[in-house]
Amino acid sequence: MVSIDLLKQVSIFSGLSDDQLRRISDICRQEIHDEGEAIVREKEPSNDLYIIQEGTVEVALGKPTAPGPTPILHLGKGQIFGEMALLDRGLRSATVNAKADNTALYAISRDDFVKLCEQDTRIGYIVMRNVAADLSFKLRHYNLAWR
Amino acid sequence: MIYQVSYVVIDGGHPGTIMNQEERPEVGDRVEFAGETVEIVEVLEIIPPRNDFAYLHATCKVVEG
Repeated sequence: MVSIDLLKQVSIFSGLSDDQLRRISDICRQEIHDEGEAIVREKEPSNDLYIIQEGTVEVALGKPTAPGPTPILHLGKGQIFGEMALLDRGLRSATVNAKADNTALYAISRDDFVKLCEQDTRIGYIVMRNVAADLSFKLRHYNLAWR
Repeated sequence: MIYQVSYVVIDGGHPGTIMNQEERPEVGDRVEFAGETVEIVEVLEIIPPRNDFAYLHATCKVVEG
């Protein structure tokens, strides 16, 4: 089970009560990955949302003109990835690798999350609003990177 | 307050980072990314603060030598 204090440091859970955070904690499972290990791969089916507990991951995209995935972003503690799977059920849009040994993540399956949201629509509203804000933040990051 | 910071490194090989931190980044601060030291040259608020979170952008340049 994930500590409530850790979940309070993740922006997509901002605004949830301790009781609501406990319900989120109940559906989290921990994963540990070693350096270079692929956590998700571009174009593969998707199911889970990931929260970075400790460490850094590298997000990389395949390009037709490059032999391997090209790094486009690093994500550190408290960040999430795989959120698009929660929203659109599409294939993974990028490959995500652990940057160091003992990279610790929490994973939430889409099915478990949707079930929880159906049981408590207030959790669903708050988290989905925050996920939208997180996607907006990432878009703004890319806009600023292109200046 | 938790600061969610978007870091972009200009003229460097680093792809940029988004991370949470407890200290607000300031112009002149030095940060290390994957063994490369960079200096912050600009800090912007890119989304208004919400609950316990502030949302910032920091532009950095590689520190020579």
